[in-house]
Amino acid sequence: MVIVMQLKLWDKEIPYLDAGADTPNRMTTYFIDTDKPLPCIVVYPGGGYAMRAPHEGEPIAKFFNSRGMHAVVVDYRVAPNRHPAPLADAQRAVKIVRAHADEWKIDPNRVVTLGFSAGGHLAASTVTLDDVSCEGHTPDDIDKYSALPNGAILCYPVIDVTDKFGHVGSGQNLLGEKYKYEENYFSLQHRVTDKTPKCFLWHTSDDGGVNVKNSLVFAERLRDHGIQFEMHIYPHGAHGLGLAEGTPDVSQWANQAADWVLRNI
Amino acid sequence: MEISLWGDNIPYLDVGADTPNSMTTYFIETDKPLPCIVVLPGGGYSERAPHEGEPIAKFFNSRGMHAVVVNYRVAPNRYPAPLADAQRAIKLLRARADEWKIDPDSIVTLGFSAGGHLSGACATLEDVTAARVGADEVDRQSARPNGAILCYAALSNNEEWGNYACGENLLGRARCRLESDYFSIENRVTDETPPVFMWHTSDDPVVNVKNALVFGERMREHNRKFELHIYPHGQHGLGLAPDTEDVINWAPLAADWVMLNIYKK
Repeated sequence: MVIVMQLKLWDKEIPYLDAGADTPNRMTTYFIDTDKPLPCIVVYPGGGYAMRAPHEGEPIAKFFNSRGMHAVVVDYRVAPNRHPAPLADAQRAVKIVRAHADEWKIDPNRVVTLGFSAGGHLAASTVTLDDVSCEGHTPDDIDKYSALPNGAILCYPVIDVTDKFGHVGSGQNLLGEKYKYEENYFSLQHRVTDKTPKCFLWHTSDDGGVNVKNSLVFAERLRDHGIQFEMHIYPHGAHGLGLAEGTPDVSQWANQAADWVLRNI
Repeated sequence: MEISLWGDNIPYLDVGADTPNSMTTYFIETDKPLPCIVVLPGGGYSERAPHEGEPIAKFFNSRGMHAVVVNYRVAPNRYPAPLADAQRAIKLLRARADEWKIDPDSIVTLGFSAGGHLSGACATLEDVTAARVGADEVDRQSARPNGAILCYAALSNNEEWGNYACGENLLGRARCRLESDYFSIENRVTDETPPVFMWHTSDDPVVNVKNALVFGERMREHNRKFELHIYPHGQHGLGLAPDTEDVINWAPLAADWVMLNIYKK
């Protein structure tokens, strides 16, 4: 039996609020029956920071349930909301999961973010950028928890947002007018440090939407900083495959990711 | 079966140096032609490691493919002797494809460490056995494999994260000083490079995983498909990696890759 709840991210004041923009203020839980605490995967669907693709949300949560883990799917804010709103929502979800660890039987030291495409940029942000979720609202108990996940799973992620090989559209949706000043800062391969948590990445080598070099250069920087990572690149596959069911090879990624969490986090 | 690579006339002969002039065949019973894996053990171009030879051939046999292990020349023999031996093996397989029930369009080189450099060289460098006096049926075959498998391969000679010492064993000190970049295989990728399968451990202390990552970048730049599996942890030289839980998957994945991407039944 899976406990599916729709929960608010923010109680009263929502930080970085844009009154005219869609503000879901919501995450959906997928908690499984358990006696002992389990890892929890925090899922950020993709969509170029302009929308959130359903096939990269619930099906992913349910897959991780089938592998004996809890999951939540975060309806993080997208354009015309700008940074830091998406990241604040993403980090808030991580903190909420830790704050309720006892009640929900979650291991607070095994909280792993997972994102696809621009959601992958968001997941990569949670392991590289500072905590932006304490501002803009009356401090509460949730704020005191760490926003840094114990690991991140990056699925055909946007990492670079410049026009070299990055995904400019996602960068512009995230940064708006600030894009031209901040495109390099938010190209996250430059934000990896010795403290970056372990990562799992996967991509297809001929991805026409997000260049596989995004994953490759992020991995290179992880190696430069001595951070262990797992990576699987498959020869062929369209952008946005999600669980990639029905493909002969790519569909293995999800079990590889689950195994990686259980062995490394 | 031990088969001589060359008849009387061994090209690039260094009379003082060990010249095995042989490959060992591992052919399986079959009615129809099958792929053949050309195994190139590692050893820094100064030896050939046994655990990266026969066990690999036998694994691919168990997956329904032929294999040969090439005892290619190493130091003090210099380039192009090692490559000539590897290319000769490929040509022999094609020349005798009918007799040995080999599919001449499914010949895949597979090498570990320096043997991985050699596998990459087979996929990218010129035929160094082309201009032989008295060219025969064997010489007229193509030396280009249909795919290349690179296992913790020492592809680059760059002094920052490459394997300069390997380059010196291959080229000799003087030539390496001048041509180390030319013989860094990532610099030899073109629009026609065959498909590649690579694997590595992210914390390999001997051959930096960036050898694989940067090679992947060049493949993408030339729109060449590749598969790449990087496992979080493992020492250099694992071979089949039987004592690991995750790395051990590389060989079945490689066999799957051959059947899915190279072999056209």
